[in-house]
Amino acid sequence: MDLKPIYQVLPLSIRNRIQSLPRTILSGLEEVRIRQDRPLEVIAAGKTWFVSSNQQLKLDPRDSVLPTREECHKLLNLISNHSLYALEEELRLGYITVEGGHRIGLAGKVVTEGGKVRHVRDVTAFNIRIARQIKGVGKALLSSIVDQDRIKNLLIVSPPGCGKTTLLRDLARLVSIGEGCSARKVGIVDERSEIAGCVAGVPQHDIGPRTDVLDACPKAEGMMMLIRSMSPEVLVVDEIGRREDADAIHEAIYAGVHLFTTAHGSSIQEVRKRPILRELIEEEVFERIVVLSRRSGPGTIEAVYDGKCQLIRSTTCLS
Amino acid sequence: MLKLIGSILLLLATTGIGFVFAGKLAARPKQIRRLIHALAILETEIGYGSRNLATACSHIGKRNLENISELFHQMSLRLTTMDGAATYECLKLAVQDWWPTTAMKSSEKEVFLQFCKTLGKSDRHDQLAHLALVKQNLQVEEQKAREEQIQYEKMVRTLGVLTGALLIILLY
Repeated sequence: MDLKPIYQVLPLSIRNRIQSLPRTILSGLEEVRIRQDRPLEVIAAGKTWFVSSNQQLKLDPRDSVLPTREECHKLLNLISNHSLYALEEELRLGYITVEGGHRIGLAGKVVTEGGKVRHVRDVTAFNIRIARQIKGVGKALLSSIVDQDRIKNLLIVSPPGCGKTTLLRDLARLVSIGEGCSARKVGIVDERSEIAGCVAGVPQHDIGPRTDVLDACPKAEGMMMLIRSMSPEVLVVDEIGRREDADAIHEAIYAGVHLFTTAHGSSIQEVRKRPILRELIEEEVFERIVVLSRRSGPGTIEAVYDGKCQLIRSTTCLS
Repeated sequence: MLKLIGSILLLLATTGIGFVFAGKLAARPKQIRRLIHALAILETEIGYGSRNLATACSHIGKRNLENISELFHQMSLRLTTMDGAATYECLKLAVQDWWPTTAMKSSEKEVFLQFCKTLGKSDRHDQLAHLALVKQNLQVEEQKAREEQIQYEKMVRTLGVLTGALLIILLY
């Protein structure tokens, strides 16, 4: 796991603290949370720790390191390369993707204009999420979504942090190199720069040799753009749920393009309560619905359903 | 004989000094002009390219803008190597190191430093507004420098020769 891009954006004082954490923690690092004047927190392998002033990891927040206002300023300067104007869109959305596909979430005082968020000012909380590409996690699912070289439209349902995006990314990669099926042209609409983790348009994760990415593009518009411009055979989109997404999905599917997508939720019943998704599911747009959980680690496949919501497989662990 | 050689040397020296001062007077408006030109490039880098400050500065640093390139090169270097120190601090250090090597004076330095305080701090729209303002202010400085040049350049040059002549007359 290469944490170098993360170290690069940390001010020296914080970088030293993180770097001197035990190797086991660093290898399983998921999040580093920096909040002004509040305890420095790291999350590794699903557990959360506070970093104490003598580099010990403790559950008790007392006696831990408190990042100062100056350190937060430095962090923002390093993240933005001293150029807030270049991050207008990122500050509006509240996160920045850095080299390596890692993401830094920002919180602070929000400035609005006409009821719409313009940007985050006075950033005082940073959540550095370490992106992990786990190659091969999608293999366990391939047999369920490829049938005699025909790819099925897939919906992955999962609560946050269960490996939804990791799985989606790996499926895009596998289909792109043609594992378990013949190789396809893949198009990713990466609205939140999570799947491919692009920096300046260059994917930071391995997403396969035949994959094109529209980075930071609104999903619905992006799907149509890709179909017109790159003629993908499989479209990969994260987190659908709005009306225009559904319209675009209809367009795509009836244009003969296959679709891998995801939605937040912990069960198929939950997802079916959401208006747009219910419609799509009832129309049997998705031929496979996969539910993930964290029961035996991130990426546990809870169940696989077919288009009519009939259970066809349950609980296997991906990793 | 020795006296004659001495006076010729003296005359040459004072004339030289006069020419150096006159040269500085002539170089100043030219350098301000080039600085304005560099800022115009920065304007496109920010407005159209939306590139971050360090990259934009290093791009300008690679252009052939004579001594102005060096300033932007220094700015880019400071921005990337100072562990996230405040943007203005980085820029100020670069400017203060570099300014004495130019023919420019403190009035345009003030204008430029004032502008550095705003650099990188706000959205694109605001950055462009500040850029337009600093360019305007520098143009005023350039105009003043040009007037000074017209007024004093010839005078300083003649003054050099004449001082030499005066000293020779006094010492001969």
